[in-house]
Amino acid sequence: MSIREELRCLAEEAQRAISQSSSLQELNEARVKFLGRKGQLTAILKSLGKLPLSERPTVGYLANEIRETLEESIVSREKELKKELLQKKLEAEKVDITLPGKRPCVGRKHLLTQVIEEIIRIFMGLGYSVVEGPEVELDYYNFEALNTPPDHPARSLQATLYVKTAHEPKSSREEVLLRTHTSPVQIRVMERMKPPLYVVSPGRTYRRDVADPTHSPMFHQVEGFAVDKRITFGDLKGTLEVFAREMFGKDRKVRLRPHFFPFTEPSAEVDVSCIVCDGRGCRICKYSGWLEILGAGMIDPNVFNVVGYDPEKVTGFAFGMGVERIAMLKYGVNDIRLFFENDLRFLGQF
Amino acid sequence: MRVSLNWLKECVEFDLSPEELAERLNLTGTAVEGIEYLGKDLQKVVVGQIKKIKQHPNADYLKVCSVDIRDKELQIVCGAKNMKEGDKVPVALVGAKLPSGLEIKRAIIKGVASEGMMCSESELKIGEDASGLLILDESAEVGEDLAKVLGLEDAVLELEITPNRPDCLGVIGIAREVAAIVGSELKKPKIKLKEVDRSIHQATRVDVLDGDLCPRYAARIIDDITIAPSPLWMKRRLQAAGFRAINNVVDITNYVMLETGQPLHAFDFDRLNEGRIMVRTAHLGETIVTLDGVFRQLDETTLVIADAKEPIALAGVMGGAHSEVSEGTTTILLESANFNPRSIMRTSRKLGLITESSNRFEKGLDPNGPVYAADRAAQLMQELAGGKVFKGVIDVYPKPKRVLSLTLRPQRVNDILGTNLLPKQITQILESLELKVSQLPTRNSQLEVHVPTFRTDLEQEIDLIEEVARLYGYNRIQSTLPESGGKRGGLNLNQRISLCIKDILVSCGLWEVITFSFIGPQQFDKLMLPADSALREAITLRNPLSEEQSIMRTTLLPGLLEVLRYNAHRNRYNVQIFEVGHIFHSRPGEILPHEPVMVAAALTGSWRDNEWHERAKLLDFFDAKGIIETLFDQLGIEDWHLNRTIRPFFHPGRGSEVFIKGEMVGILGEIHPHVQEAFELPNPVTIFELEEAKLVKYASLLRHFEEIPKYPGVTLDIALVVDEVISNEEVYKIIHRWGGRLLGEIHLFDLYRGGQIPRGKKSLAYSLTFRADDRTLTEDEAKKALERIIARLKKELGARIRA
Repeated sequence: MSIREELRCLAEEAQRAISQSSSLQELNEARVKFLGRKGQLTAILKSLGKLPLSERPTVGYLANEIRETLEESIVSREKELKKELLQKKLEAEKVDITLPGKRPCVGRKHLLTQVIEEIIRIFMGLGYSVVEGPEVELDYYNFEALNTPPDHPARSLQATLYVKTAHEPKSSREEVLLRTHTSPVQIRVMERMKPPLYVVSPGRTYRRDVADPTHSPMFHQVEGFAVDKRITFGDLKGTLEVFAREMFGKDRKVRLRPHFFPFTEPSAEVDVSCIVCDGRGCRICKYSGWLEILGAGMIDPNVFNVVGYDPEKVTGFAFGMGVERIAMLKYGVNDIRLFFENDLRFLGQF
Repeated sequence: MRVSLNWLKECVEFDLSPEELAERLNLTGTAVEGIEYLGKDLQKVVVGQIKKIKQHPNADYLKVCSVDIRDKELQIVCGAKNMKEGDKVPVALVGAKLPSGLEIKRAIIKGVASEGMMCSESELKIGEDASGLLILDESAEVGEDLAKVLGLEDAVLELEITPNRPDCLGVIGIAREVAAIVGSELKKPKIKLKEVDRSIHQATRVDVLDGDLCPRYAARIIDDITIAPSPLWMKRRLQAAGFRAINNVVDITNYVMLETGQPLHAFDFDRLNEGRIMVRTAHLGETIVTLDGVFRQLDETTLVIADAKEPIALAGVMGGAHSEVSEGTTTILLESANFNPRSIMRTSRKLGLITESSNRFEKGLDPNGPVYAADRAAQLMQELAGGKVFKGVIDVYPKPKRVLSLTLRPQRVNDILGTNLLPKQITQILESLELKVSQLPTRNSQLEVHVPTFRTDLEQEIDLIEEVARLYGYNRIQSTLPESGGKRGGLNLNQRISLCIKDILVSCGLWEVITFSFIGPQQFDKLMLPADSALREAITLRNPLSEEQSIMRTTLLPGLLEVLRYNAHRNRYNVQIFEVGHIFHSRPGEILPHEPVMVAAALTGSWRDNEWHERAKLLDFFDAKGIIETLFDQLGIEDWHLNRTIRPFFHPGRGSEVFIKGEMVGILGEIHPHVQEAFELPNPVTIFELEEAKLVKYASLLRHFEEIPKYPGVTLDIALVVDEVISNEEVYKIIHRWGGRLLGEIHLFDLYRGGQIPRGKKSLAYSLTFRADDRTLTEDEAKKALERIIARLKKELGARIRA
């Protein structure tokens, strides 16, 4: 067999070995066998010196050509094998996509906080600032300055939680109590600042009510008030309509009913059309079609006199709303005590 | 207050359905809380006439009646005895459902068929009488619906009368409102009184010793009275108003009170010592047994009605048992008085006795009302109890209340309301409420308004403006927004940081809770606080609802631990919560306490239960510390550290105080196993409590961009073995100090004890990143820096470097 034939046979054999190799290892074995330092093609190349001088270039050329071809084949076979390998690996890595996901742990703000932040957001959009006041308060701010008569039932030991003081108060106005509403902040702000005032004040409030599904000795209110030149009852109406629609949806109807509060006049209770039945009448709105959401009114001139404002020069309105009530209406919570039990199964719902 | 529409219609004409009227009242300030439709449950109850009564063949006590109901005759078995042939009685037909819930069915009673039931007052719930059948008036038409015949087709409005409107505590007052709303006229019942010749002044005398507490006392005497049940129509009205019928005299006093709002009292005149009345405060040691049978001790602040000898009534609150009208009463002294509201309120509160009467007087009634009410009651006693009314009224009224006159500026009305009402419109509205309005002869077209004395709530111009507003209709006032421009709202920096704190804690996986601001002192015991602990110095409530809610919290911890306990009892053991809220401390020299806001958290259990990919891991001190680190990092708080501390409620080796720039801002630690046990918690709990104002003080929401490193760093690891007592911080500080400018991050990636590490030692492994900001650092440079660090660690801490 001539050396050329020998080379051709070797090339065929090597090509077969490469293409038939079924793993990277087999491929490598083939490479070593034919192209390695002690490989068969290498051996032939090494023996070129024994050929007659005239044959050397052509045979050498052929041998090199074969070598290059084989190397290319090896590379491409290697690619193929790697691809197959990856495919197998990926196949094996298939997961059960119905297994539960791995959730990051995040908490949430209390529903009441969410509602308060929502209310504040709405009023900030109307140009209001936020001011807070103390929870332990003087009778003066909680009642007297708000035009509440001395014998008003709200001032009784049955209705309001009073604080023991080191010294016997000299008068009822010096009694210390847990504020029964956020309205004292009105007085505190007006004492300290000059109009124009556009303020909302959220916070905890307290009454001597035994806890039941609709009562809690502690609850939250948001107070709001505006004092400026030429503030009218129409402004109060307009402001509360904006609020109610932002809070409960743009299709809500709002109505004001005359009511009585010692520190506003004219006073109103404010209803929105029922968010459950849309005003048609249901159990939640007691078949009236309306839900009461807050109390409001024009600040009584007596209150302005107390803080040294001239009621002929400025007018104002004030409103106060129960946060729990709004949360209960908006989210269908049926027992006020749930807010303060802090059962995670409750907190987790909002 | 409950008002029957039929009754109301006697006093004012209107053509509105109950719902329409309710709506109109609602929108003018008289809140309607409900409408009750009477007679609704008397369907299929008709008038029947008894044609024949036979003895029941099988039972002595039963009768078999044949009853005509117009289109047919029914056979009905009946146990009553008071009826005779020809009587008209209520018949509940088969299918009727009585107010008691009883459904009438065809029945066989002792062998005799019965096709309905004849009823008593009480069975129909229209009266109390259960002694026999209700015998109807002869004029009742056979076959007609009973509800119609009895005028029971009525609706009752349940009204909420605000405390400023005592004038609306009677049908007439409501009628006045309705008249103003619908534009018709109030028709007060006309008094038709026939007095006998005998004068009241010959029969009795009234002395009012305390004119401040009793501005007016009017009395009438009526004799020849026959005590009997009231007529059905009156019983029904009382019942509709929520009153129980008693006898004609008592019922009349209640009826007139419901009509006029003026409480009345009838004394059995023959029981009064010397037949005279004294209105005075009680003497010390005096007692009275009131109508409710309770024996009461009186004191000198209590206003009483007395006879010549002793108290016979608590003025304005309740009558005495001794002079109570009874079966045998023939002569009564009728009291119609006006009492000082505060005095009544005091007596009522002190005795814990709230009555229809006290409730009205304490709101302040019109002193010009009593005589009309007395006359009205006298008239009814004459008509319904056969009484003879003595001539004249005793009326002690030394200082008659005058009509108040107020000035009203129409412009002011419009300024307050945002309306454009004309003086004419305003006048019209006020006049509809029986206010008299006249134009003042001044330039500003001011109005002078005379307020009738029954409107005790109208004292100032603004009160009149409210009247205009509510009758004009709030719904007709145009909605606007305040016109002043350039308002700037929003949160200040503190408020923004405060909001931020909650956001960060929530993103750390904590749930916000809200717990009561008051706690019980036993919570301090659970926290194992010693008797002299400052935390025990709490603000105390004077009238707490319970021991558990008797003091203001001085720390948020008990509230949080209670939440853990609450959830643990419901099998929730993985709980991570926080609260932001006030605590309360008294301040020397100040009346009001200090109310700092605290930010507190409690972590127990693990973040999650065992999962298919991960085992549950109990949370510990470092989970809580990690949250503080994140919080401070996000708030831009730098230069802070922890100091070990011993607190009674902390695990002695796991408690710390948190310092920022040298100022203590709060605490962090694992709670003591005893405390954990006291709160019935199965797993360890780590808590922290920080003062918000101090966080705000050191927080900075401002950020300044820092160049991102351009050149890669070299990261080298070292593991060193040191004595157990040496803290991470000590190691860290040395690395930091000797790392030089090139040292970037220091990261502790392993803490190991046991194995080849000798007892009393631990292995700490750090990876250190070295970096230069002007070139790529070579490994040799980094290694050189590391050598320096290692040398110091060996020298200063006796550290051994692990291979």
